[in-house]
Order: sequence, then C-alpha cells, then structure tokens
Amino acid sequence: MASLKISITGVRGIVGETLDPRLLTNFAQAFGTLVGPATVLISRDTRPSGPMVTSCVAAGLLATGCRVVELGVCPTPAMQWAVKSTEAGGGIAVTAGHNALEWNALKFVRQDGLYLNANQGEELLNILHQGEFHKAPYREVCPAVETEALLPQEHARVLRRHIDAKAIRKAAFTVAVDCCNGACSGFTPGFLGSLGCRVVPINTDTDQPFPHEPAPGPKNLGQLRALVAAAKADVGFAQDADGDRLGVVTEKGEAPGDELTLCLATEAVLSRGDPGPVVTNVSTTHAVDEVAERHGREVIRTRVGQSFVAEAALSNEAAVAGEGSGGVMFPRINCAHDSLATLAHVLELMAHVGRPLSSIVAELPSIHMVKLTIPCPPAKVSAVVEQIREEAEQGVFGGAIDLEDGVKIIDEGMWVHVRASITEPIIRVISEGPTQQAANDLAERFAWRVRRAVM
Amino acid sequence: MVTARSPVHTLKVSISGVRGVVGESLTPQLVVGFAEAFGCYVEGGVVLVGRDTRQTGEMVRSAVVGGLLATGCRVIDLGVVPVPTVLVAVKHRQAAGAVAITASHNPAQWNALKFAQSDGVFLNSYQATELLDVYHQGEFRLARTSEISPVETDSDAVERHVRLVVQSTDVDAIRARRPKVVVDTCNGAGAVMAPDLLRELGCKVKVIHGKPDGDFPHDPEPIAKNLRALCRAVKETGADVGFAQDADADRLAIVSEKGRAIGEEFTLAFACDTVAAQTPGPIVTNVSTSRMIDEVTDRHGGQVIRTKVGEINVVETMLRERAVVGGEGNGGVVYPRVHLCRDAMAGMALVLQGLAEHGTISAWMRRFRPSGMHKTKIECPSSRVPHAMAAVRREYADNKLDLTEGLKVLWPDTRQWLHIRPSNTEPIIRVIAECDTTGAARRLCEEAVAILRPVVNA
Repeated sequence: MASLKISITGVRGIVGETLDPRLLTNFAQAFGTLVGPATVLISRDTRPSGPMVTSCVAAGLLATGCRVVELGVCPTPAMQWAVKSTEAGGGIAVTAGHNALEWNALKFVRQDGLYLNANQGEELLNILHQGEFHKAPYREVCPAVETEALLPQEHARVLRRHIDAKAIRKAAFTVAVDCCNGACSGFTPGFLGSLGCRVVPINTDTDQPFPHEPAPGPKNLGQLRALVAAAKADVGFAQDADGDRLGVVTEKGEAPGDELTLCLATEAVLSRGDPGPVVTNVSTTHAVDEVAERHGREVIRTRVGQSFVAEAALSNEAAVAGEGSGGVMFPRINCAHDSLATLAHVLELMAHVGRPLSSIVAELPSIHMVKLTIPCPPAKVSAVVEQIREEAEQGVFGGAIDLEDGVKIIDEGMWVHVRASITEPIIRVISEGPTQQAANDLAERFAWRVRRAVM
Repeated sequence: MVTARSPVHTLKVSISGVRGVVGESLTPQLVVGFAEAFGCYVEGGVVLVGRDTRQTGEMVRSAVVGGLLATGCRVIDLGVVPVPTVLVAVKHRQAAGAVAITASHNPAQWNALKFAQSDGVFLNSYQATELLDVYHQGEFRLARTSEISPVETDSDAVERHVRLVVQSTDVDAIRARRPKVVVDTCNGAGAVMAPDLLRELGCKVKVIHGKPDGDFPHDPEPIAKNLRALCRAVKETGADVGFAQDADADRLAIVSEKGRAIGEEFTLAFACDTVAAQTPGPIVTNVSTSRMIDEVTDRHGGQVIRTKVGEINVVETMLRERAVVGGEGNGGVVYPRVHLCRDAMAGMALVLQGLAEHGTISAWMRRFRPSGMHKTKIECPSSRVPHAMAAVRREYADNKLDLTEGLKVLWPDTRQWLHIRPSNTEPIIRVIAECDTTGAARRLCEEAVAILRPVVNA
C-alpha cells in the first residue's frame, strides 16, 4: 500500500520513503502562499523525524515571506489555541497523531485555530499541484526563525480559567497519566499538578520511542490500567502523540473505551449548564444522544472528520463537540480536539459529583459498538457504497436513512454506518446496538453485503 | 565591453556549488534537493553547516538542515561564521563534509551552497560532477525515522580558528609593533571573528560595518570602489592599515596608511612575501595573478607554480606540491599552516607580521616593481571560442606562451604579460594584462580585443 496520503486534511507519509524534504517544502510553500505572508506557528510531536520535517517546513514558509515561530514540542491543541489567540495567520502541526512512529504528517491550521475545511484543503492542494508559489524577494525573507516556548504554557493557564479549578484542587485527586512519550509529556504532569492532583506519570520521556501504539483505545491502555491499580489512582488518562485524543481509565482499572470520552465530557459540560447543542459525527455512539437528552439538549451530527465537527460546533455555538476517537473540543476555548481540556473537564465532573469515576461511568449509557474495515480496491469504493445506499433507499433494511456521510441506517435503538475511508482503500462498517451481540450481528450483516459488492 | 544579456539566468549550478537569487531561482526545493544529494554523497556522516550573515541565510539553512537530516546525516550547526572557519572545523570535528551557505562577494540578493569534503577542502571538479550526478538522478537514500538525530550546535569554532591563526603567526613581532588597524567586515561573517583575532594579535582595532546582520553597507566584493568608507576611516584614525573582507571572509583587501586602496593583488603578494621570508618553498597561484608573486621567489628563493583560475585548482596543486603559501590575485590567501582554503583571517595575520618588518604599507609596496593591471572581456558565442583563441594564438605565436589555461603571452625582458581565457560560466572571453603602468596594460588588452573582435563577430 502506498505510504503517502495527500488529502484535504494534509499530507501524511512514512519518513524515509515518501515524506521527503522536497514534498515538505512544497507543502509549506503552498500553505505560505495560501495564508501569507503572515506569521505561522509550527508545533511538533516527539517523533525523531520532527526536527527534519520542521526544518523543511520553516524553509518553505520563510521563502514565501512568512514569519515563522517555532513552538517546539507542544500539543497540537495548544498550537491551535495560540494561532487563534495571537496575530498568527495560520499554523502547521508536524504530527502523525495516533499513527505509528515511522509516520509523520503536516496538518494545516487556519487563522481562527481550526483545521482547514474541505474547500480550503482543496485550495491548498490546487496551489501545490499548480506549483507556482509566492516567492518573497530577498528583502522580505525573515532573517531568523523565532522560537516561543511560553505560548503553549499560556494555553494551560487559559484552560484553568474555564473550569472549576478550586473544586478539583479541593478533591486532591491521584491521577495516573500515560503521555505515550508524546508532545504532552512536558505539559500534562505540570498541568495536573497545578490542579492540586497527585500525579503518577508514565511514558513522559520525549527522547524515547512510543511505548505502544499512540491511539488511546482500550487495547493500548494495559500499562495505564496496571498503573492506576498499583497507584490506587482515582483516574487514569492516556494521551496520543500530539495530545488531541484522550483515553480514560476508572479507579477500578477499567477502560470503558474511547467512545465514552465524549460522553463524559458532554455530561461534564451539560451538567454544569453550559448553553448550546452537542455536535458529533454520524459514526459516534448514540450514548451521546441519551446524555444530551437527559439535559434537554439537541445533538447535531456531521460528516466524519475533525474539520466538519469543528465548523458545525462553531456555527451552532455548541456546548461541546467531538468524535468517538476520544477527541473532544470545547468551543468556548477553541474548536479543536484537546486532550488537556478534556481531562480537566472529566476531573471537574468527578469533583462536582463527588463519587468514584466508575460510578459516574455506570450511570452513563453502556456502549456496544463494532467497527469493521473491509479492504476494497479504490476503483470500486464509490460503487460499493452507492450500492448499499440504493438497497437502503429501496427499503431493504427498513429504518431511517441518513446520507450525511456514506449510508447510515437507524432502526429501533440500533444503527449501522457504511462509509469509505478518505485516507485508505477500505470501507468502514460501524454499528451500535443494545448488546454486543446485537451490534455484532448487525455489523456482520452489512459487512457481508459490502464484501459481496466488493467481489 | 559587453552588456548583460536578457533574460539573465540567476541560477548557476556549477562545479563550485549552487548559486542563485532568493525569490527567483534559489528555491527551498532546489536547496533541499542539493542538501539531500550531498547527504547521500557523504553517506550520512557528520556534516557541518555554517553561513554568512545574509538575510536569506536562515531560510537556506533550514532547507539544508532538513535535507541533510532526511538522508541520515548528523548535522552540526556552526551558526554565522566565516567560511574558512567552517573548513577548519571540518578537520577538527572529523566531519564527513560541510555545507557553507554564502554567496561570498556577491550582492545581497544572492545566496549559494558550497560543498566541502572530509579534509575541509571544497569538492574538486570530479567530485562536484559526481554530486551533480547524484542530484540529477534524484534518487536519494532516505533515512528511517530512527536514524534521524537532532541538530547539534558548536559555538567554539571561531575561537578554535582564532587560536590556530595566532599559533601560525609570529605574534610577538606584531605585538611589539602594536599596529593600529581599521577593519571593514561589511556586516558579514567576518564580524564575528576579525575584531577578536586582531586584538589577540596585539592590534589597536577600530571596526566599521561590524554588525553581523547581513545589511551590507556596500557590495561585499573587496574592490576599490567598495572601500571608500574604509579609506576614510584609516585616514581619520591615522591607522597603519585598513582591512576589508567580503561577506564570508575568504577574500581580503588592504588600505594603506595613506588611506588608499592598494588593489587586491597586493594582498597575496604581501602574504607570500611574509611566508617566503621565513620559509622559502613552492608558492602556488593562478595564471592570471600578478607577477609580484614571482618577485617574492626572486627575492627569497622557492618557485612559483601557476594553475588554472579557481580556488580548488590552486588548493589541490598546493597540496600536491607541498606549497608554503598560495592563493589568487583577488585577495584570496591560502596559508596551509592554518588550513588549505582562502582565509582573510590568516591573510590579515600574515600582512601584519610583514608590516612589523617593513614599517609601513607604502614602504612595503615600494619593495615591488611598479605594476599596472587591466582587465576586460569580450562577448563570444561558445561556438566561436575556438576560432577566437586560434586567432590570438597565431598572432602571438612567436612569443613565449603559457598554455595552462587559455593563452598567456609573456615578455620576459619587460616582465609584461597578457592572458586571454574563455570563461567557464559565461559566454565571454576574459582579457587581462600586467605591465609597469595600467595605461600600457590597457593598450595590451585593446590590442588583443582588436584581434578577437572580427573572429568573434564572423
């Protein structure tokens, strides 16, 4: 499979194979042409290829006359917040997020701190492919790359203002945290400490490789669960390499799943009385709807992808938004997935409720989901999804049909979603049901149809 | 004389490196590509990076570092330093090579990459051709993530270079003389070293244009028309000597105690005179450099070996011949005891050492036969070059000839010479002459041009 993914969300590739310096400078110059000449902030995660990628990006930006400010190793949400809160015209996150170590990527942030939307992403690619970049005359090329290490710390200070830090301090939680040797390693322990928590950190050495896959799903939380038990912690948090997603472990050492992170955050924000609806994508658990309903709120569902959720959160003035991947955004702070903000809100909820996290989780709806991927030749992807859509519209499956993104069929407390991945030649089948068995059966029923259509 | 052709190409990819105008031809894509090619060429070893003070230096540096890291090189960033400092450091750090980011004497809009090998000498023409082949083939061996290391810095390179120059000079003689010196570093890389070195040598120092910020107060080429401020400062302060360096401190020009720019040919003549007086031996320079170098060996013994024009030709011959000193008439002094590269710092030290013996620059100049040089050029399509050269060869067939590069005609009795050579980089033929007066030299050049012109235009 190709190890280069160029899409409207940016460019991602394997260092040493496809993500090479010329491609990186080209993208940086294209971005500088799109937003500049302007100040552009660069953040990176802890991948060893980060300095190489950052150098190339800085060169490309400088050549277009942009002023370049390097934030160094810093959580992506902190950079996004800094772009929004300063005069910067944009930002570039050098991070492959939850992908494995050998990958790296550029993610492009616009002036208001959100990722480029689909139209802007397309515009960037058009500039890239046309290959005619703005070339600043030598007098307009900035003579130095600036560095700014304090700006990301400012993000933490602002976060504390948005939560009931006093209540959290009073609760004096013991918190285990797994930073995956990623961008949050230098931030989260200090931030938790400032909230009066006793912090038990692991994997905070940024010179070391990722100790496990960086996605904070249950299968990567074994170490954290053991740590929570050993340290008798009140809660465990796992962050991915660039700090946008959060996984949660209860004081019993249980990992209720990444879909639950958004439910916890939603409960925290709505129980506090923040106004506004909840925004999520069509593939995220319907447990969110139940939580919202308890508080009399609406749920707005968008296509899958952070930029779709973020723009809907912005335009609907949402109280909270996010995706089932563990990425949650708090529009009053910024419309960007932010694991630091998320863990702060979970702690606030725990402090306000005054009961162990496992009992809070127990009161949330239980989540039974299945996520399958079915390989499909790129040429057939659209036709396969189209066939499922036609069958759905002919009433083969019954239930309500949602065509926001691929095909989603909702029937009596169950749903299944069939959509093409935009980054890989696969079709995803996601289902949710009242029991794991029901979710399995539903997913398999559709997977069978998809496989048949693929053949 | 010719005027510039239009459109002018601002990219020069040649065996001496890659040079271009930022905002036009020297793009980050080109720079990362060449850095990757060089990274592959040195097979991912330790590579030093240094730059002059140009405004675009950081952009080019970022691209160079990115390209080198991607090919698995360990990068040591020396920051803003003279080019000779980079080359000295290559040896000290036992690096596999170096990239110097500097357009040397070219105006501010230019920048360039120059590549050095593990002995701290720029790539020769064969190696440079090899590097170009790697670049053009475009298949670079890229390092895996785990093979990429963070950039290191080295802030002691200048200090080590200062020490090396001081150790290679008769410091006591200079300190006893305690000369008053004005130095114009053109806000270039020399600014981070020249003042310290001069003080270390016991001079009273006044620095002009000493901010290493790349804001060139004049074109960085150290030729007379760019040295007016220095001449004035020498006069005003009653200094014994004025020194001017280009942006990366490889070339040096001298202003006499009378406030007169004495011409860059004297720089090498003085340096050779100083070295030959203490250590007679082979001296290497190019065929177009002043006859004053021959006077040095007449006086002190040793022999002059003449090479094709170009630093690398001089340096490689020096290495082969174990030369005691060498360089080129444009103010580029190579003093092997310091390092085999053009070095304005070593040049200053040698001139100051000689000054201690000769008293004043003017008195020292009088030790040489009066000399006048003239340089001109004629535009010539490359296909007409052989015909043009044949014509002058025929015309001067009865004279003593030197065919090292192009055609050099010598008149041993009057010590006049005329050098006619096609340029390697532009469609022109250069014509240079040296006589006792510049008037006579001009007439020699005009005579040659008169022979060339009808053939060129045929």
